[in-house]
Order: sequence, then structure tokens, then C-alpha cells
Amino acid sequence: MTGERMTGNRASSAPLLQVKDAAVHFGGVKAVDGLSIELTEGKIFGILGPNGSGKSTLLAAITRFVDLTAGEILLDGEEYHTLPAARVARRGVARTFQTVRLLPGLTVEENIRLGADRVGGRGGADGVREAIERTGLKGLERHRPGELSYGVQRRVEIARAIVARPRLLLLDEPTAGMNQSERQEVSALMRELQKEGLTQLIVEHDVQMMVDTCDHLFAMNFGKLIAQGDPAGVVREPAVREAYLGKRWSQHV
Amino acid sequence: MTAWYDSNIILIQSTFVGLLTALSLQVPIRFGVFSFAGVGCYGIGAYTTAIIVIRLGWPAPLAMGAGMLLAAVTGYLLALVLSRLGGLYLGMATIAFDLIVTVVVANGGELTGGPSGLFGAISDVGTVHVALTSLVVVVLLALSERGRFGRRVEAVREDPELAAAMGVEVRHYRQLAFVISALLGACAGGFNVLLRTTIAPTDIGFSLVTLALTMIIVGGSRSWAGAFIGAVIFTWLPSVLEFSGQWQKVIYGVIVALAAIWVPGGLLGVITDAYRSWQRSRRAGGSSDVGPGDGDRGTVSPRAEGTPA
Amino acid sequence: MLQDLINALSLGSIYLLFALGMSLVWGTIGILNFAHGAIFMFAAFASYVIVEQVRLPMLALIVIGALVGAALSVAVQVLAFQPILQRAKDLRSGEMQILIGGIGVAAIPLAVAEEETGSNPFGFSASSYATKTYALLGFRITNTQILVVAAALLIAVAVIAWLRMSRSGLALRSLGVDPETASLMGVNRRVLGLGSMAVAGALAGFAGVMLTYHLGAITPDSGDTLLIKAFAAVILGGVGSMAGVVVGSYVLALAETIVLTQTSGLWVDAVSFGVIFAVLLFKSEGLFGRKEVRRT
Repeated sequence: MTGERMTGNRASSAPLLQVKDAAVHFGGVKAVDGLSIELTEGKIFGILGPNGSGKSTLLAAITRFVDLTAGEILLDGEEYHTLPAARVARRGVARTFQTVRLLPGLTVEENIRLGADRVGGRGGADGVREAIERTGLKGLERHRPGELSYGVQRRVEIARAIVARPRLLLLDEPTAGMNQSERQEVSALMRELQKEGLTQLIVEHDVQMMVDTCDHLFAMNFGKLIAQGDPAGVVREPAVREAYLGKRWSQHV
Repeated sequence: MTAWYDSNIILIQSTFVGLLTALSLQVPIRFGVFSFAGVGCYGIGAYTTAIIVIRLGWPAPLAMGAGMLLAAVTGYLLALVLSRLGGLYLGMATIAFDLIVTVVVANGGELTGGPSGLFGAISDVGTVHVALTSLVVVVLLALSERGRFGRRVEAVREDPELAAAMGVEVRHYRQLAFVISALLGACAGGFNVLLRTTIAPTDIGFSLVTLALTMIIVGGSRSWAGAFIGAVIFTWLPSVLEFSGQWQKVIYGVIVALAAIWVPGGLLGVITDAYRSWQRSRRAGGSSDVGPGDGDRGTVSPRAEGTPA
Repeated sequence: MLQDLINALSLGSIYLLFALGMSLVWGTIGILNFAHGAIFMFAAFASYVIVEQVRLPMLALIVIGALVGAALSVAVQVLAFQPILQRAKDLRSGEMQILIGGIGVAAIPLAVAEEETGSNPFGFSASSYATKTYALLGFRITNTQILVVAAALLIAVAVIAWLRMSRSGLALRSLGVDPETASLMGVNRRVLGLGSMAVAGALAGFAGVMLTYHLGAITPDSGDTLLIKAFAAVILGGVGSMAGVVVGSYVLALAETIVLTQTSGLWVDAVSFGVIFAVLLFKSEGLFGRKEVRRT
């Protein structure tokens, strides 16, 4: 991990993550179709887009769960789209999932520890305790996921992703199923992590939260990037409103 | 006690051999690898041990070690060759492997004794050896079910993709499962041939797969303890069921069927569930430490965006 | 040579009768029924028990065997597979529990038959049917062999035609291709599942009676061996393809016959195990199957 941080510093002029002309095709379906984005270190990025626009596939490509049909993905200026997913994870790319994926047989604490294991036990007990406290899970350590509400399970996922102190955190609908106060807590946590230098990429339907939380927004439709830039500006773009907000805006604002 | 021991020595030894055999199937299942190759490796271990002891006159531990080594290499090669297969297809391919081993030894001519097998693998291996080995194996496996390694194995079984996202090299863990299974199977086979002094192709066929599987179905496949429970039950059940006379096998069948259908976690699963709900009720009785989000339980269901496919 | 071909043809027909039902159930409702061998054996056993009491002609025993097979098969579906599928948390774990449940259930009829026969072979010597051997142009064929081959081919054609042309056959095939869409289109999975299990059981029972006539006697554990061979035939042809099962059964039987005549005879079983291994490794969709890549 330290070694990898060093390479990160060496190439600090390059953005943390670059996606260049990436395409992911499933048979005839072009889930991601020639998309380029750059994530600079220490910022919170968000992806907007209607269902099926390719957001989750993009996250899957970044974490190497799916293969790129074309294009490349670079971490610290280094191409990595041939590495296995586990290696990418060990390089400091952590993620949460759209549908909660916790291990039912393990307790909350053990599930979070699973995330800590990737740094070779470093961060150990302190790191786990810290992650539990920051996600407001104190007192629930010994519960099993099945006993908890969906919102709480999501927080366990976030704790598991941040416990290893990743360099890039990908959050796939982190607040789905949460109530308003929980959403605000998660949003505050994301800000806090940002202050510590963590780069984040978030897929989320809650437009208001995205505008409030993110530094930079990407808007996707049909696997392509249709707009990007300052959040307030992006949501005002006609193409974005038409593709996504036309249906959603009224519900959320 | 000594009298009991003397009259039941065969059953006591069989319990340990059964435990090791059952573990050779339980370990891969715990890794999410549906492989029955442990039984084929039992045959490899038994035959290698017997051949070396009978033909070369090596000491028993060396012979067993050679058998386990050969089995481990075979297991590793199987893991490489079968890496593309999963689920049912892996299960069937490994059953085919087990049966191929039986055909090969039945055709081994003088070396393997053909269909009648090998006799006279005499050694000073006794109950103490198999018991101590089982103890060491159980301690190691119990350790492997805990801590970091245990969590990773849990992830590899339940959700390989998630495991990869946690930095776990799923492929390596699956290969490891094959090798451990091969070692355990060969160890069981080696002990069995040294304790009984004979081995024949009929000892290692489909019926051994069924027996070992039966043990972990009824005992439970989640932990070594399930294999232990199963090994004890199915080694001792026949003598317990003596009262039922000729219907013994039918009762046996009914038990297996009921366990397979209604108790997928086995007896161990029943015990663990009972313990956990007892723990929960105790915890709930103490302080109310339910999460702040518990209020919205049930109001929001996990939704799944249609993956573009 | 011609004699070998005739032997291969009758052996392949037995495999086909057994494997057809297994393939039908596996290719449509996705159940690999490990109790199929026990059903096959028990149907023959039940016919044996009856024929020991009442001297019956072959046709009556076939009907009894098919009925017993169908009844057992439906019972397995209702008592074992349906409860397992209802409780399984996902397809993968369900699949394994089905396999294990099948093995578990199979132990009961096997135990009953072994208990009654003392694990000895049983046959239909009390039946009024008599085996006749015809010698023609230097090769020999029995009336049972002719019957077995004719029945296997006729039934295979009938099953294929039923799947291709009838409404229920179409519904079954749609289940095999895409269960979810099929249920949305109003296909009743439960009823079709029971129906295909009944057909498969009847075929197994029929095969059991025919094999017993063909060999003179069978042992209670003969179902296990046949199960593995039928599995080899099914995956060789390709899961979900009925034409594939036909080809797979005869190719397997031919290969076994060749091995039997060329070697000491003990290698015969290696053919089917080797076929399973090789097909799964190199061409997992079989000769005619749908491309179905099963990854870990």
C-alpha cells in the first residue's frame, strides 16, 4: 500500500483515474459506449443518468468486474484494464454495491473487517473501530446483516469500503433505502472523507444530494457522456434535463 | 472403558477415517467449490500407500506422505484443468474423476492387484496415530474458519465477486480448496489401508462419495464440526440401529433424505441457529441497541436497476 | 463386427430410454434428478415382486413398471424437489441441494429393494414372456433386443415430436430456455414440472423393465451405474437437446462396445467417465446443446 502510494505521488501530475474512450458492449447492447472521464485527486465526483444509462457498468469496468470492449482505464497514469479485480482492489479502489452485498453469516464487525483485510491487517482494530464510529454503527457490531434495516446495511457497506483507507471510493447508490437524516449523515461523511484527501465517485438518484455533495458531475445517457462540469450547471443543461431530470426533477425538488 | 475400547476398536478407527474423508468434501464446499475429488484422492492415497508399503517396504509415514503428495499434485492439476467449471458441472466432472480412479486401479494389473485389490499392507499404525492426526487436522481447520482467513473463505463462497472487490484472489483460494481436499482424502485413504491392510476398487467408488456426502449433509457442511457429527452418526448408526433389524438401511435412507430436504444446514446448522437466536434474545433483553434506521424496515426494499444486458 | 453393432444398438437403446427422461427434466425444469436411477431400478423391482405373485405377460409388466416409475418420480418431485426449490435462496445453492436431495431420496428405494432381495439379482423368470434368439447370416439377435431398439427409437421420436409440436411441449421448451419469461407468458411451472417428472419416471420404469428382460436379471444397485452413463450420454449430446440424447446414447454405447471388444473388458466404464470429463472440459455445451457457459 505504501509502495503504491509512492507511485501515486510520483505521477501526481496525472489525474488519479482516467477513463479513455471506454466501451463495454454486451452482445449488441452498448452499455458504455466511447466514454472518457478524468478524476482528479481529492474531489467528489458524481454520475447522473437514468436507469440503464450505463452508470453501474462504468463502475464495474473501473473495478474490473467487466472487461472493456475498447478503450483504456488508467490509475495514476498506469493502464490497468488487464489486471484481475482483486489486484485493482488492493491498489486502493474500493466500492459499494447497488444492491447490498454483505455476508449473511458474519457479524457487522466481521463484515467490516473483511474490508480491512485487504491492506494486510494494517489499520487493524483501530481502523475497524473508527469506520464503525464514523458510519454510526456503534452498538451494532455483533448483529448479523439479516437483523438490520436496509439503510443500516448500506452503512455497513460504506464502512467496509472505507475501512481499508482506499485512494478511490466508488459508491453505487449509497443512500438508496435511507431516510432523510441518514442521507444527511452519509453526505456529511463523504465531505469529511474528502477533507482527508479521499477521491470519490458516486452514482446516485438523489439529484439534490448530488448537487450539494459533489464537486463535479458527469451526466450519462445511452452509455455516453452528455454533459459534465459544475453540478449546478450540469443539472441545468437541457440535454441532461431531457434525458434524466425531465422525469426525476419534479420528484426531488 | 478398556473393554469398551477393545470391542469397538474398529468403529473408533472408522470414525476418524470417516471424519477425514468427510472433511475432504466439506472443505471445498466451505470454499464454494462443489468438488468431490477428495474421494478420488482417497483412492490415490490408499493405493499409493499400500503399493509402497507392500512392494518397497518403506515405513508407513513415508508411504502415506508419498500418497498425499501425489494426491496434492493431482488435486492441483485438477484445479487448473477444471477452473472453468462451477456448480453442478464441477460436481459431475469430479465424480467422473473419482470413478476414473476406480477404473484405473481395477486395470492396474499386478501393481494394483486388479479388481481384487491389494492385501497385506501391514504396519504399526494404530488408533493413536489416526486419532492424533485427526486432532491436528481439526485444530488447523478450526483455525482456518476464524479470523482473516475464515472471513475470506466465507466471502469466496458466498460472493466471489465481492471477495475480489475486497482484494481476495478467488482463483488461488479455489485452487487451495482442491489441494487441501486432496491431502485430506489421501490421508484418510492412507490410514484406512494401513489400519485394514487391504484396499479394493469397490472401496473407493460412488458409494464412498455417497457416504462422505451423507455425513456432511446430516452433520452440516459449514464447519469441520458438521463433518465430525456426521462421521460419528454414520459410523455408529448401524450398530445403534441393530434393534430395527432388517429395516436399518431404510431408516438410514429416510434420515438422509429428510436431512437433505428439510435441514440444508445439517444438525450443526440447527445447533448454530438455536444458539444465535438465544444470543439475540439475550441481547434484546439487555439494552435496546437497535439501529437508528430500524424504523424504516420494510418500507424500502432493495431495488435492482436492470443491468444492461 | 455386425454382431458388435447389434449389441451396441441394443445397449444404446437402453441408455436412451433411461437418459431421455433425465434429459427431459434437466433440459426443461433444470433438475438433474439423481434419484432417476433408483426410480428406474425400483420400477423393475416392483414389477418383479408382482410377477412373482401373478404370472403376467411382458406388456403388463411394462405398464406396471411405467406406472410405478411415474408415481415415484412425481412423489420425488412433490416431496423432495419442490420443497427444496421453495426454500433455496438462489439457483446455485438450489441446484446443489437438488443433487444432494436426489442422492438422499434415492437411498430409500435402494434400501427397500436391497432388503427384499438381499442385494441379489432379480429377474422376470416368472413372466410368461420367453426370450427367443434368431440366428441370421451369422449374427444373433433376441426378440427382446428388437423390442428394445424399436421401443427406444419410437419413444424418442414421439418425445421429440411432442416437444416440437404440442402446446405443452412448447411450454416446456420455453421453460428450459427462459424460465422467467415463460412464467410471465402464463406457463405453469408447477404443473409442467410434475408432468415432465411423470413422463421421465414412466420412461425410467419402462427402461427398467426392458433392461431386466434384456439382461435376464438386474441388481438393486444397477441404477447408480446407469445414472452416470446416462449423464455422460446427456452431456455428450448437449443438455436440452433431445436429438442430442439420441446421438449421445448410441455414440456412448458404440464406444463402449468397441472398448469391450478391444480390451480386457475392465476399461469399459472408463469410457463414460472419460466422456463426462472431456465434454465438460472441452465442449461443455455438448454436440447439439445450447451454448450454456457455466462459470464459477
